[in-house]
Amino acid sequence: MNWLAHEMRLVLRSRLSACALLLLLLLSALAVWSGMREVERQRQTIARLAPLHEQDVAALAARYPDSKDAGNPAYYTFYNTWDPPSAAAFLALGLRDVAPYVLRIRALGLQAQLYEGETFNPEVALPGRFDFAFVLIYLAPLFAIALLHDLVSGERQTGRLRLLLAMPDAGRLWRRRAGLRYALLFLCLAVPACVGAALSGTGIVATGIVLAVTAACLAFWTGLSLLVATLHWRSVTNATVLMGAWAVLTLVLPALANVALIRAIPVHQGVDLMLAQRQVVHGAWELPREETMRKFVASHPEWKDHTAVPRRFHWKWYFAFHQVGDESVAGAARDYRGGLLARQAWTGRLGWLLPGVGAQAVLHRLAGTDLPAQLAYQDAIAAFHRQIRTFYYPYLFNDRPFGTADFARQPGFVPRVPDGMPGRDGLAALLALFVLAGAVQLAGLWRLGRLRM
Amino acid sequence: MSAVLGAATGAATVATRNVIARIAREEWRALFRDRAAVAGIALLTVLMLVAALTAHEHRRAADAERARYQAQANHEFEAQPDRHPHRMVHYGHFVFRPVNPLAAFDPGIDGFTGNTLFLEGHRQNSANFGDVRQTSLLLRFGQLTPAFVLQVLAPLLLVFFGHAAVARERESGTLRVLLAQGVRSRQLVLGKLLALGGFAGLALLPALAALVWFALDGHAPWPLAVALAAGYTGWLLLWVLGVVLVSMCVARGRDALLVLLTAWAVIVILLPRWVPDMANHAVALPTRFEDAIHVQREYLALGDSHNPNDPAFAAFRDRLLKQYGVTRIEDLPVNFKGLVGMEGERKSSELFDRYAAAAFDRQERQGEIIDAFGWASPALALRRLSMAAAGTDLASYRSFLEQGERYRYALIQGLNRIQVERLAYADDIDRNKDNRVSRDHWREFPEFQYEAAPVATTLRRVAPAAGVLALWLAALGTLAWVLAGRLGRIAR
Repeated sequence: MNWLAHEMRLVLRSRLSACALLLLLLLSALAVWSGMREVERQRQTIARLAPLHEQDVAALAARYPDSKDAGNPAYYTFYNTWDPPSAAAFLALGLRDVAPYVLRIRALGLQAQLYEGETFNPEVALPGRFDFAFVLIYLAPLFAIALLHDLVSGERQTGRLRLLLAMPDAGRLWRRRAGLRYALLFLCLAVPACVGAALSGTGIVATGIVLAVTAACLAFWTGLSLLVATLHWRSVTNATVLMGAWAVLTLVLPALANVALIRAIPVHQGVDLMLAQRQVVHGAWELPREETMRKFVASHPEWKDHTAVPRRFHWKWYFAFHQVGDESVAGAARDYRGGLLARQAWTGRLGWLLPGVGAQAVLHRLAGTDLPAQLAYQDAIAAFHRQIRTFYYPYLFNDRPFGTADFARQPGFVPRVPDGMPGRDGLAALLALFVLAGAVQLAGLWRLGRLRM
Repeated sequence: MSAVLGAATGAATVATRNVIARIAREEWRALFRDRAAVAGIALLTVLMLVAALTAHEHRRAADAERARYQAQANHEFEAQPDRHPHRMVHYGHFVFRPVNPLAAFDPGIDGFTGNTLFLEGHRQNSANFGDVRQTSLLLRFGQLTPAFVLQVLAPLLLVFFGHAAVARERESGTLRVLLAQGVRSRQLVLGKLLALGGFAGLALLPALAALVWFALDGHAPWPLAVALAAGYTGWLLLWVLGVVLVSMCVARGRDALLVLLTAWAVIVILLPRWVPDMANHAVALPTRFEDAIHVQREYLALGDSHNPNDPAFAAFRDRLLKQYGVTRIEDLPVNFKGLVGMEGERKSSELFDRYAAAAFDRQERQGEIIDAFGWASPALALRRLSMAAAGTDLASYRSFLEQGERYRYALIQGLNRIQVERLAYADDIDRNKDNRVSRDHWREFPEFQYEAAPVATTLRRVAPAAGVLALWLAALGTLAWVLAGRLGRIAR
């Protein structure tokens, strides 16, 4: 272990390297802390809203103590839904800053409520959040480059290279040096992440995967740095080439891919479906009511004997045409989702080639903060919406009165619990990341072993 | 006597100019002998062209699509059948935010905001269907646009190929030779600045061409295009100065590169993310959920505007009765139910506006915190300048929402007025009667026309950020001038 102490001294004696490592440790700690603070804030927000919502319902129950039917309560009662952050969310906040994680819905047409936006400052969201994923994907490669780009050329420029290469088994020396730097970088990232995971109650498996992603990301960038470092260039050239590679891999190619993706898979059905839904819902006022009711019982046969609607306004017809409006755009809604998922799938495939995109895909999948997680929340809302509707239908269709006691019987939202697993897509992305990083790392190490003057 | 002196000074100026030009020429020759520098500038040019083309195409397609949707929504509104005007109040309208012509240069927050606004009675909705929720997380890596290329990549190029400008002379010993031969240190630095400035100009050229193209093709106002050009010229000049300055102060080219890359990473990558994050924590935004509950509570306290007998409107009723000199609402010459609707809409709109303004004010306070850090990272100042000039910042988004709200209010009150004037009160309160007015009324409403902010207003918004950039330039320029005078002495 003597060599370790010696090499460690070498690393730390270089003030620049020591500063760089300290800075990386600081930045990743700051990112973990900032992520945890944000997650805590989101938890508090969710907790704050529950009593507010209950007061709202209580006020409504007081306003409509005894209704002849459930129409008014059904129309005016909002239900709260929420998407609690997962235990790993602090690592990668993802879409949670721009997509709502709390949403109120009511028994009316869901498609007009589901895409409601959240209040957020777009100028704040534009550059992205400062979280662990950002430090790992954008900043850590820069530190790897700084520490490793002159591993060989530095020795050449000071004239020690010939001596080092003449030593028996010089390859091992290089591998030790590279390995030590790799380990130090890894520790700077892993320690804050592990502390954060322990404090947040992130599962062992999830934490293990985060560490694996971190290791793979660093392996890719140290491997690439070694590959360049073993070429017979000057330190400055190495740094230039590596930084160029970093800019292309983490800034230029993802941005280009995004342009390509937006063009290849146009997603404008969202607006189409909203316009179409409105036409159907509002057009219902002009249609014969029997026609609307016929459409409604086609999907709700249990009410086929209760479709008679009086000439004047009746709530069951009102809620029926809202439901028919939703059903009329079900296909468009499916297409819209399909388009979003297709974009997501292609992003995942891109991650097989670009380590930054791959790492981002895995981390955000694990944290449950990506597009599929957002869609899962929408699914949970849709299921809850179905529950709410079917709660009111017996009152409306059987003309049953709705009293104060019935308010207490209203369904409550049960949030989905993220399992902290990467899922099949995540595993595929992880595997691809490992293969890519492993290949580059091995190539770098192999070149180190064959280093000649 | 003075003529002789003048001639001498003139000759000296020409000589100085010659020396500076020669140094710049030599530096250029060195730069272009470096194949990497040529490849770098070529790559940047290609990227810029790709970015300009795709951003332009994206803007054009988005604008055409939104215009098409707007036409469709207008048509659907006008094509509604004869019906009760209050049904139209609930049917509502859609407006779409047109894309600013210069958004092709810097789309700013365009991808992060909704661009579809549903307008209806008794409610203010959020703008929905922004790109950010529809494009996976890839958008967060940055959008390939001319602004991105100039903001992020061009400084990196200047760092790579300029860091050794002076350091190289010092390392190889030529600096001492040059100074000994009578070249003034300031001349040397000016020459290097000129050369690197020329290099930056090459990087800027395609962007300027793109800007001219966008201005011609999209009919963007020229002053704004010029402001953008000036802003980015200043930004690159800032880096030229910074690069040469560091190259002057540091002993070795290698150290200069490290210092400059660190500065770049902090200024361009780290601070622009970290500062907004901090601002977001300093000023908390309430969720739409909370606002909705609070608004609804106050809204209910205003009374039910669908119910003409709601006690909340008693004072309004009494005032009206007195105004017309009658004792019963049935005797009013106008439809009281419609008037209650108008009064309710007026009060509720005030309420909504108050909440919307409060939310926007909080966001603007966050923006002010971010702007204050322009002193620490000129990248923030540049981004502010760029987004404001391109009309893709929060202020112009707010303006769209406020114009949409004004349009909504005029539309809803217009429909209520039709109810007031065209429907008799007795008919209107009879629930068994089918009250309808002619569909011709729907066509009377003007279409929504988005008005971009006047150029002068935009320029005023741009000014503070431009001031920060100018101060940075002045500070770095002064520093470079002072240190250049002592080049022979520093870091020998």
